[in-house]
Amino acid sequence: MAESRAAAAQPSPVARCPVRPAEPVEVRDGWEVSQRRSAAPLRLMDCSPLGKVLVHAEPDGRAAAALAVPFGRSRRDEGGTFVVGSGPGEWMLLGAVGTGGALAAQAGALPDDRLVTAVDVTHGRALLRLTGPDAPALLAKVCAVDLRDRVTPDGAAFRSSVAKLATDVVRDDRDATSSYLLHCERSSGQYLFDALLDAGAEFGVDVDGFSEGTA
Amino acid sequence: MSAPYRLEPQPGEVLDRSQPVRFRWDGREYDGLAGDTIVSALLASGVDCFSRSFKYSRPRGVLTASFVDPNCTVQVGDEPNVRAAHRRLAAGMDVRPQNAWPSLRYDARVVNSALARFLTAGFYYKTFMKPQRLWPVYASVLSRFASGGCTRPDAAHAYYDKRYAHADVVVAGAGPAGLAAAVAAARAGARVMLVEEEYDVGGHLRWGDPADLARLAELRAVLVAEPGIEVLTDSVVTGRYDDNWLAILQRGRPGGGERLVKTRAATLVVAAGLVERPYVFAGNDLPGVVLGTAVRRLVNLHAVRPGSRAVVFTANEEGEAAAADLQRVGVEVVRTVDARRGEGIARALGRRHVQGVELTDGWRHAVDLLVTSTGWTAPTSLLNMAGNRPVWDPTAARFRPGPELPDTVFATGGIVGDGTTDELVAHGQAVGEAAAARARGERPAPVPPLGVRPHPAMFRGPTHGFVDMSEDVTSKDIVAAAAEGYDSSELVKRFTTATMGPSQGKLEVVNTVAVLGEAVGRNMEQLGTTVWRPPYAPISLGALAGRIFEPVRRSPMHAWHEAHGATPLVAGQWIRPDSYGDPMAEASAVRRAVGIIDVTPLGKLELQGPDVPKLLNLVYVNKWSKLDVGSVRYGVMCAEDGVVFDDGVTGRLADEHYLMSTTSSGAAAVWEWLENWLQTEHADWQVHVTPLTTAYASINVAGPRSRELLARLVEGIDLSPEAFPYMRVRTGRIAGVENCLAWRIGFTGELSYEIHVPASYGLHVWETLLRTGDDLGVVAFGVEAQRILRLEKGHLIVGQDTDGLTKAFSAGLEGLVKLDKDDFAGRPELVWGSERLSDAPRLVALQPLDPHLVPAEGSQIVHDHSRIAGRVTSSRRSPELGRSICLAQVEPDLAAPGSVVTIVLPDGSRAEATVQPQLAHVDPEGSRLRG
Amino acid sequence: MLLIPCPHCGPRNSSEFRYAGEGRRRPDVTAVMPPEWRSYLYERRNAAGWVRESWYHTFGCRRFFAVERDTVTNAVRPGSPA
Repeated sequence: MAESRAAAAQPSPVARCPVRPAEPVEVRDGWEVSQRRSAAPLRLMDCSPLGKVLVHAEPDGRAAAALAVPFGRSRRDEGGTFVVGSGPGEWMLLGAVGTGGALAAQAGALPDDRLVTAVDVTHGRALLRLTGPDAPALLAKVCAVDLRDRVTPDGAAFRSSVAKLATDVVRDDRDATSSYLLHCERSSGQYLFDALLDAGAEFGVDVDGFSEGTA
Repeated sequence: MSAPYRLEPQPGEVLDRSQPVRFRWDGREYDGLAGDTIVSALLASGVDCFSRSFKYSRPRGVLTASFVDPNCTVQVGDEPNVRAAHRRLAAGMDVRPQNAWPSLRYDARVVNSALARFLTAGFYYKTFMKPQRLWPVYASVLSRFASGGCTRPDAAHAYYDKRYAHADVVVAGAGPAGLAAAVAAARAGARVMLVEEEYDVGGHLRWGDPADLARLAELRAVLVAEPGIEVLTDSVVTGRYDDNWLAILQRGRPGGGERLVKTRAATLVVAAGLVERPYVFAGNDLPGVVLGTAVRRLVNLHAVRPGSRAVVFTANEEGEAAAADLQRVGVEVVRTVDARRGEGIARALGRRHVQGVELTDGWRHAVDLLVTSTGWTAPTSLLNMAGNRPVWDPTAARFRPGPELPDTVFATGGIVGDGTTDELVAHGQAVGEAAAARARGERPAPVPPLGVRPHPAMFRGPTHGFVDMSEDVTSKDIVAAAAEGYDSSELVKRFTTATMGPSQGKLEVVNTVAVLGEAVGRNMEQLGTTVWRPPYAPISLGALAGRIFEPVRRSPMHAWHEAHGATPLVAGQWIRPDSYGDPMAEASAVRRAVGIIDVTPLGKLELQGPDVPKLLNLVYVNKWSKLDVGSVRYGVMCAEDGVVFDDGVTGRLADEHYLMSTTSSGAAAVWEWLENWLQTEHADWQVHVTPLTTAYASINVAGPRSRELLARLVEGIDLSPEAFPYMRVRTGRIAGVENCLAWRIGFTGELSYEIHVPASYGLHVWETLLRTGDDLGVVAFGVEAQRILRLEKGHLIVGQDTDGLTKAFSAGLEGLVKLDKDDFAGRPELVWGSERLSDAPRLVALQPLDPHLVPAEGSQIVHDHSRIAGRVTSSRRSPELGRSICLAQVEPDLAAPGSVVTIVLPDGSRAEATVQPQLAHVDPEGSRLRG
Repeated sequence: MLLIPCPHCGPRNSSEFRYAGEGRRRPDVTAVMPPEWRSYLYERRNAAGWVRESWYHTFGCRRFFAVERDTVTNAVRPGSPA
């Protein structure tokens, strides 16, 4: 078949986020993202371009020990990868844009006595970050989990219903300000984004463009 | 207008005298003060009538001067059913009476009073029953007389909000005991929510004497100083459900809406206080007959003089205090009638307002105010919702909470007993500490109970009067109902509707039971009270509905579909393009050239691990042990009862790496089904399931020129039929995008490739396909065109061509079922069913004799012109054949090719159709598909 | 709303879960006769009192687990697998 012709004729592909980006829009690192910058105290950002890898392994095996974070907690490793204990025997790795494939290969090769799999789900998940002092109050309008420090301290991770959508939530405070990463199936990303904006209207939530190098 | 009944400033008043508030009532302008309720402002201006009663249209004035006042429900602007004795005045309010026709002053329905003897208990049940054909007429007449305000569909909607909350201790009621409980719990380290129905904390201390006000100031200072207490005023706990799940209604939100706070509390302290009980006697509903607590509220909180000359009928200290308040502000109390001395009142006199009162000793006094303080009701609703049954206490003359309560629910204050303010505070403190301890998981010692003070049991005087003012039920009605045999509290409640009005029985229930007791010769202990259910206080439908969450799923190409005029099809949570205008043309273009359809919602599950074949063998009816890498197989899943529940293809991408596809609607259920087997029956199998449905944008490229189109975009995959035959899967680069999958399968019956591309590039690939295939005649087609194409090909849709009873044999899938496997889901039923195969309905293709007739899906197929023998499951006009085509489930004796069946159409007419030799109407040999 | 004690996520609202039925064991399909199989498919004890139930945490860990529930009081406690 005419492979050479195929390669030549096409423009280089542009990756689109699950949430329609706010104007102005630019293409950065192959992703169409919003350049908007908000100074509002409470901000919502679509971080979907970040690399995302879902790892499955025995919860008490060698791979789990290497990932070094239990279900319900998160940590940043030396390489800047954000490792989230997202379920019993399940981890979500978040890395810089474009690192999904490499992270998956690395995690999938972790030695263990039982099966270890790592799947690059960069394109399968919508990832949002909600930051601001009123972030817990906003989330309390859409999520029934107790967000107080005692139950959900900084670094805590859980999955629950957020606006009736199965959503992973990680509390990852920034500069002593409440901040949450939320991720859900990509197809519902726009719905989750809109639901958070609606719930946050009373707190003046504002849309911020994607500006993070890593999670 | 002036305010002739406004008093000089009172020590505990909640008014801001510097802020006049102008509003309208019944079309005229009035002035009140900030802090007034609608009713207090109107009373100060000399208005005494706020509604007409429900059945008899009697004029009604203020009774309790609180939220539960049955006579003060009004319309404010577009908002109906506003409690005017609670709602604070706001500038510009347009307040109207809502149960008066044509006006509050001249009510046409007052004629009902003359007909009172016909409107007795059960009147509605008896009168408007027969004949049934007149029900619509009855409904339209009755709705005229029914109370309730009006809603305008075009009125601006308030924002009805919802939020979740978590507390260690929720205290319902912020009187002295509730305040003390909240503070004590917070001091013990608990996170506390204190919920108060009024606009401020303090309970009855707010309208008390200087000593009460001083005590309240102390308590409030302590409360304010205590962090860790969230105080919600103008809010109410309306329901208590399992595990202390509480519905808290927050009123008076910005924008006017209410907010439902769904709260999980470790412990609940109910400190709802006491509700003063009205007394039953002739004329007890006249404007000017008010409760002692109402007098105290009006005088002390709102500086309103409720009358000029008064008789006070009292059985307790509250009545004495009301009399003292009246005298202090210059109302002449002509007589205090003390029930404890055996004195009583017989009737109130007057037509539009109290003009006099007749005592039981025969004395008559000319008055414009009659105050009654004859007893209390404990609003135990929240305790009842926790399983508690109130018990009659003859000493206190009220129902009090019974002994049984979950160990996470406590009660304090007037609801449990009587005491001085200090005693109430001490009990509240002890209960607050216990609630905090329980919230920490400890087992606190029981709190010594509050005592009770003796109170005379007083319900009704020597005359009959209203027991329930919201529902216009009199004591005579209760007696009549008892005579008809409705001799229990619950029966009499339902028959007369007493206690079923907006005040939820708080004012009415005890008198109802007492009057029933008189009539049937049983006492309060024997009769017991009715069961209080949620809500504790009325709640708007808007608050219950709130913001509604309905998750929506969109494909990466959604914006393109919208921009290109797609008709949206809501399929579960997905919004899909049904067509782009002309589905028949889209279908034809696929058969003629090439089309692309967005099939992203197709379920996709990645399966990895050495035991995947075991799993596939278990969940599919066919065999999976010998699937080569690069191959794809169609499979059908049955539930354990042998009924088909999903189908799809699964491909082997690498040695221990498979991708399973499911139907769009079945994706979540199949994932759970796989997890169920892996977690519960075969925990030893090593298989990991990762849902990737929306990780890929899925595009089916279908039509005779699909290979040609794809060849222009694909790198790393040889598309030649020899290298990439039917039912194979390949990975490669498509339109410059890495890690794409291509399956050669075909739901449409044409040569087709289903490509799965990383979802972020879905729009790029979609647009590239259309641009690149322009000269080939490529079109985008929607779900409707796909349905036409697959029906032409005779491919079934699970859930449409099968139903909840369709076993695999009845779906034309008998060739697929491999009973020689040891085990698979549904096998036992299929084994036994295979022995009676001849009884099973069959899926067949039909063609109506009239080629222009397209029978409606769901049309029944009848046998011998009467017996139902099947139904049409799918039906369309085929653009390829130029005629109508169907799939149908039919009884086996109708299934032979060439049989003619009778279809009953929705209009009752009949049509005939011929059973086809195979399911495919087009290309039964499959040469297009495999080309 | 009931709180369901998820062994992995802790107590959560019952609306996050799917009730997966009374706890029961799947018969050996190679030997089973119709009465036993259909009892497994269709018959439930529906007892008043403590029953063993299976729940699936749809919105959380997506694990099946057992709880015991008193159908009279709706009290719930962790259960052991059947």
